[in-house]
Amino acid sequence: MESGCLARIAYSDVRHNLLVHYLAAVGVLLVTPVIFGLEGLSSRMAAIPLETMPLLMGIVLLTPILAPEQNECIFEVVRSKKTSRHIVTGMRIVCSLVILAVLIGVLGGYMMCNDCDVTFRMLAGAFAGAFAIGCFGFFFAAVTDNPIIGYMVSLMYFMMNLFLKKELWKFCLMSMSYGISGCKPVVAVTGAVLIAAALIYRKIAKNEN
Amino acid sequence: MLFRLECKKIICSIAFIIYCIISFFFFFTQYYGGGTFREMPPVEGVGDYGDKIEENHDVIMSGALDSLVGEYAANKYVCYPFGFYKGVHLKDKKQAKIAEYLKELTGTDDSGLGEILGTGEQYFLGDSTEPMYAYYDVPISDSLTYERFTEIMGDIDDILGGGSEYDPDALVSNYSFVPMTYEEAKAEYDDFYTKDRITGGLARLFSDYSGIALGIIPVFAAASLTAADRKRRMHELIYTRSISSLRLVLTRYAALIFTMSIPVFVQMLIALVQAIIVYKGEPMDYLGFFKLPTVWLLPILMTSTAVGMFITEIFSSTAAIFVQVALWFYSVMTGSTALAGRIGRFGLICRHNTATERSLFIANAGNFIFSRIFWTVVSLALVGLTAAIYNAKRGGRFNGIRLFGKDSIFRRKA
Repeated sequence: MESGCLARIAYSDVRHNLLVHYLAAVGVLLVTPVIFGLEGLSSRMAAIPLETMPLLMGIVLLTPILAPEQNECIFEVVRSKKTSRHIVTGMRIVCSLVILAVLIGVLGGYMMCNDCDVTFRMLAGAFAGAFAIGCFGFFFAAVTDNPIIGYMVSLMYFMMNLFLKKELWKFCLMSMSYGISGCKPVVAVTGAVLIAAALIYRKIAKNEN
Repeated sequence: MLFRLECKKIICSIAFIIYCIISFFFFFTQYYGGGTFREMPPVEGVGDYGDKIEENHDVIMSGALDSLVGEYAANKYVCYPFGFYKGVHLKDKKQAKIAEYLKELTGTDDSGLGEILGTGEQYFLGDSTEPMYAYYDVPISDSLTYERFTEIMGDIDDILGGGSEYDPDALVSNYSFVPMTYEEAKAEYDDFYTKDRITGGLARLFSDYSGIALGIIPVFAAASLTAADRKRRMHELIYTRSISSLRLVLTRYAALIFTMSIPVFVQMLIALVQAIIVYKGEPMDYLGFFKLPTVWLLPILMTSTAVGMFITEIFSSTAAIFVQVALWFYSVMTGSTALAGRIGRFGLICRHNTATERSLFIANAGNFIFSRIFWTVVSLALVGLTAAIYNAKRGGRFNGIRLFGKDSIFRRKA
């Protein structure tokens, strides 16, 4: 497939389907300084905003990846095209991950400029958590073919992270805030597995190309 | 008939099944585990006996003023506007305003305030190089009344952006907590058996945990059901039916409330059975789990359901979820700064994270009742508006609001 064709699909998708979600994620970034103090924080304190708000960004960016095809008219058009739907889905995921990485980078950069003890390792950890919870929402949205369920499950996972803390064992997404080590690689791998599982499920059960 | 059909539709939906799973998971991990042990009586001479609120205006004014002078000196005010730490640094103009208030509070002029500021003890938090200051027994103006004091504190809280220690609603709980004596702690414990009759206290704890879940999960089921007509392309067919919009919306709302109350009711039963087993032989109020939690939780369930229906009808299910998440996040996080002893007049989710300490809850009973009535009225108003919007859609006078242009995803996703 020509790269120009892919670029056109990406442009069209972003413009018509994903822009609103990108704007919502930017909105989450903009309210972060309103909710949290982001000046002169120790690494433990800095981890709290860095692990809380990116989770919401991950939910907003990754859960609705398959939402455009909820409209049956769009779904029929997409089905009739030669381009594999998995390529389109993969491209949307990549776009959302790039936006997520940029937003986390901006948040981390802002905190570093305000004397917060933030390291690149922490930023990578924040990205891993956001990626994992987004993939969680994506998986359930894909399996149930309903983005509302994706939001429901991922937001409940977010809620559990706020209240259950250490009881989530290695699946705790706020491990840096609670001082638990070894969680980030586990959640990152889980996220990748969930994406693969969702795509395989759609291919087998829904006969998608 | 319609009510039964709607109930059946909801119960068979995946959103409701997940609602039940999450609701029970939250119940068992948060409430049930802690409820397996009896509340233990205080032991004389062992440990502390907790705190109680003693609304002593002199104590409140002195404590708040000491704290305010310390934060003013460091120009670092600790706030929790959304339950998370936020250090506020004021610019010169606002700092000058605080200085003016300090002069009024202490009854001094510029030089007098300077003298007071010179008496502070400097210290550093952790590895921080930013100095902090502690002040003790800062003099208070003789002519200052408590009313004027709370007025000033309210202004200062506004300057700081809210969530500070000087919020007039939080002054009592921040500065008027005094340690309980053994006798007082024993009396509090006895209240659990005599006045609360066990289940009254446990019901408060149950409601505290359940309220957190009910503040958010119902919106998904409500949004899902409201959007289902459009998704299944049934809305035009339903629009042509003779049933009135108000009746249809009210029936659906009642069906949602009824079905989503079932898991909560089952949890109440489980909690009651657990209490009977744990407190075997003790006299208790067997209806305790069904009285207070109903008053406490029903407005929460009604509101999150009504928000889900209302916003979905105007915008989309995604927008409804975002709005309710924002409301829930604000309500839970602002409430988490004090887990007992502080119930706001407009808080959707009330917190009282203990089975005992009845007196703290009673002290907030006025605010509790007000907030329950307020949110019940809000939810009914939202349902009425939802019916009006639905009716306008049926008549072709309104077609939903598109947030982002002609091809907005909000419109198409349903």
